[in-house]
Amino acid sequence: MNRVLGDWRAILVLLGPALLVYTLVMLVPIFWSLGYTVFEGNPITGFEFVGLNNFATLFTDPKIADALVFTLKYAVVLTIAQVGFGYLLALIYVFWLRKASSLIRTLAFFPVVLPTVAVALLFQELFKIAPQNGLVNDLLNLVGIQSVDWFASPDTAFLVLILMDLWRSMGFYAVLLYAGLVDIPDDLFESARLDGASGWRLVRHIVIPLSLPVLLSSIIFSVNGTLKVFDSVLALTNGGPGNTTTPLTLYMYQTSFTYGEYGYGSSIALLLTIICLLVTIFIFRSSRRDLTKG
Amino acid sequence: MTATFTDRSPRFIRIVRRIPVWIIVGILLVVVVYPLFWLLTGSLKTQEEFLNNPTWALPEDWTNFDNYVEAWTTGNLAVYIRNSVLAVVPALFLTIVFGVAAGFALEVMVWKGRGPVLLAFLAGIMIPGQMILLPLFTIYFRAGLTGTLWPLIITYTAIGLPLTVFMMATYFRSVPREIFEAATLDGANIFRMFWTIGFPLVRNAIFTVALVQFFFIWNDLLIALTFTTRDDLRTIQVGLLNFTGQFGQIQYGPTFAAIAVNVIGTLAIYLFLNQRVMKGLTAGSVKG
Amino acid sequence: MTTARNRARRFVPLIAGLGATALLLTACSGDSGGGETTAPTDLTYLSFAENTSIQDTLTSLSTGSCSTENEALPLDITTQPQASYDQQLQLLAGQNALPVLFASGNSPQVAKDLNDGGKLVDVDAALEELDQTDAIIPAARSTIEALYGGDVYVLPTEFNVEGIWYNKQLFAENGIDEPTTWDELTDAAAKLSAAGVTAFSADGQDGWPLTRLVGNYLFRTIGPDALQKVIDGEASLTDPEYVEAAAAVADLGKAGYFGPSVGSIDYMTAVNQFLTGEAGMFYMGSWILANFNDPAQNQIGAENIGFMPFPEVEGGAGSRDQLAANVGVPLALSKASYSDDVSAWLGCFAENFGSTSLGEQGVITGFAVNEPVEDLPPLTQAVQERIDETTQSVLWFEALFNAKAATTSQTNASQLVTGAITPEKFMEMVQADLK
Repeated sequence: MNRVLGDWRAILVLLGPALLVYTLVMLVPIFWSLGYTVFEGNPITGFEFVGLNNFATLFTDPKIADALVFTLKYAVVLTIAQVGFGYLLALIYVFWLRKASSLIRTLAFFPVVLPTVAVALLFQELFKIAPQNGLVNDLLNLVGIQSVDWFASPDTAFLVLILMDLWRSMGFYAVLLYAGLVDIPDDLFESARLDGASGWRLVRHIVIPLSLPVLLSSIIFSVNGTLKVFDSVLALTNGGPGNTTTPLTLYMYQTSFTYGEYGYGSSIALLLTIICLLVTIFIFRSSRRDLTKG
Repeated sequence: MTATFTDRSPRFIRIVRRIPVWIIVGILLVVVVYPLFWLLTGSLKTQEEFLNNPTWALPEDWTNFDNYVEAWTTGNLAVYIRNSVLAVVPALFLTIVFGVAAGFALEVMVWKGRGPVLLAFLAGIMIPGQMILLPLFTIYFRAGLTGTLWPLIITYTAIGLPLTVFMMATYFRSVPREIFEAATLDGANIFRMFWTIGFPLVRNAIFTVALVQFFFIWNDLLIALTFTTRDDLRTIQVGLLNFTGQFGQIQYGPTFAAIAVNVIGTLAIYLFLNQRVMKGLTAGSVKG
Repeated sequence: MTTARNRARRFVPLIAGLGATALLLTACSGDSGGGETTAPTDLTYLSFAENTSIQDTLTSLSTGSCSTENEALPLDITTQPQASYDQQLQLLAGQNALPVLFASGNSPQVAKDLNDGGKLVDVDAALEELDQTDAIIPAARSTIEALYGGDVYVLPTEFNVEGIWYNKQLFAENGIDEPTTWDELTDAAAKLSAAGVTAFSADGQDGWPLTRLVGNYLFRTIGPDALQKVIDGEASLTDPEYVEAAAAVADLGKAGYFGPSVGSIDYMTAVNQFLTGEAGMFYMGSWILANFNDPAQNQIGAENIGFMPFPEVEGGAGSRDQLAANVGVPLALSKASYSDDVSAWLGCFAENFGSTSLGEQGVITGFAVNEPVEDLPPLTQAVQERIDETTQSVLWFEALFNAKAATTSQTNASQLVTGAITPEKFMEMVQADLK
């Protein structure tokens, strides 16, 4: 048996193309870029070796601290929100809507296909205050609350950003998780129901454990996506007001390409990669452990 | 089920208990549908309407398709859509084929060192795309690939691989090993096993992953911006920037029209794929 | 199962090896310089995708006045959106593959870096060789010299003066005369505000229209060299006389003269507010003439718009005659591809660019207008005359800053006028990024 499943030639044919492309286009450039971390300058001015200076700067640059805090805050809040709401939707699809869920599923998925630029424009309009109120402020006025200048303060800008990304991604995670939930055999539920389990207990003891693999994939996926948030921030707030909604990716992009500090930019990218790696390995390991247990 | 037939109250309770769900679904529909409605009506508005009328106002002229004409001519939309398709479809195909094969090799086949290789792929999910731009540009430039769509196809394939490999490995892991072990005892050739057993088993998963990847690379701006300088190579996402001026002026109407065209196109693809996913899902029930 | 420690040890040589490879790769790619000239086969031009007027002027020249040059070296236009433009220039420069002619980047710093790297043609010397020393008008030349430390290595394909445009009718209705001092300006703003009109329309989302006010205020109080002193290290933005400028602009915001929430106003909205008569004044560069001259956008009428230079500040060293000016996005020529054919094109630009651009695009350039252009819109005519009278110009707040300080300044501008950060804090942040 191991002769067939351990056939080196077959492994090479199956794995080879993926590994080759991945190595040439991702791994090589990554290590190439890592090399820049010990240089200062950019392709226009030329590079100068500065040793570990860039890493030292990472610890003293107050903007790094701000960007790091924002990135983590955003990742945690949005991951909980989008996976949570996505899971809720998926449960609704599977247990309440059943066969009728197709239309709702499609509609809820729909925002995912909209270009970021368009979604950001939409949310700017919805939440605007000047020259005229957007829809949200109008609704607030209707219930007697004064208009809010959403993009003028860090907290409200953060809130709008989260709402926007939640709106975009909720349906996507719902579909992803739905695919996992549908795979759970029906007779498992039937026997659980016969045992008297229902509602929350059913979810808690049957649904969650059985959909754990896909739930964990979703979380890993979400964490990595949110830690690397770039487009939506750029399009919605451009990091503002001030730099209060600037994530590491945006700061890295500005540093490398706008400020022309390529080496320092690469150091920031490395920092971000390490964070992603740590978080993922953490989740990955717990998922493996849980799987072997189950 | 049968017990409740004669008893009215549990059914009544069930209907009452369903009300919150319908409220949630109702809110969801409003929240999702209204912005889309706004987008479509926006594509019929003039610049003056955008600037001077309230956000929720309906277009003054429902038959004003000037924005679409503008988007199609000035916006060069047809060329951009063609480029997007030419870059995304081959990349998607390669990602899926390479990714599924690699996932199979990493999860089903037995060999030393697959842990680290899987981890190496996993690491790719974490790399910020911005980091590989400069080296890649150098590579493509030296290889003489700039000025073609190849940099986009290659980069999209590579960027899509980590997630695809990782997800395919996860799905293969959920397939009971006995199926493959039994097949080897029957003397099946490994490639035939991959095609006839492995591939069909994860067909749903493939459609899901394809869907995810499609929207990832279809909506990409960063890579497309970096590797296309000629107007006739632009993808649709880059093309959308065409309606913004040097000092920040935006032509709202044509922008919305271009987005609407983009959305309708992607919707068609989604509906097609969605149907396939459904077919795959029902066919997959054999497994249970 | 190996323990984590064992596994970690196994990876040590691997990581060391990869690190060495990384260094090697980086070092290999780091070769630059390259002084040799290779004659190009096309006049490749890399433009901001957002700027169409230069592209159109070049295309028109290639089929008209410069058709001979175009035959020898055909024009080939490529574009890149502004957002990724500087990045693209970096990447191309890194490959020694700069286009023959290109927009010189989002900030003056990019052209400075390129010139320091020896990659740009000395336009002054090149024009002299062509006997075209008068091709660039004095005002534009003074602006370029101020921007680039006395050298001329860019082509002024645009020349804009900046100041405050005002609604004549609103001024008349409220009994306001054209303000010549800062106090008169704030009085005018107060009157407009009292009459229920937004005093200043301003694009706070992009920030730069707000920081331009700070810059102008500094040029009026300290003089035209106010910011050069900061760059030279003789003064700091945190000095009281510099903070005063930020405070003056912040006070305008505090008094509500920019309207309720300036940070949410984008460029088009700001233009629209002024052109629909909702705002009395609008600080902007003369590129805005394209919008003013478009009757569909301009509902108050072009004849109703007046232009005034930024007012003087009592007791300040600067004067109203020193008009704020810029050269838009000047073009640069790559030294590596500067051949005789390119030189011929440059000669043709020197003779024809000014009149072609003004005549066909309505865009005022820094090139001499060698053939008089008829039928200019009156507002454009007035601005053109004002430019001809101008002998000394001043720059804008971020003109001499590095990209980092410029970004910090512009992204925090709306916070300054909404009072979210103090003037001291604002100047401190910008100064910190100046290095």
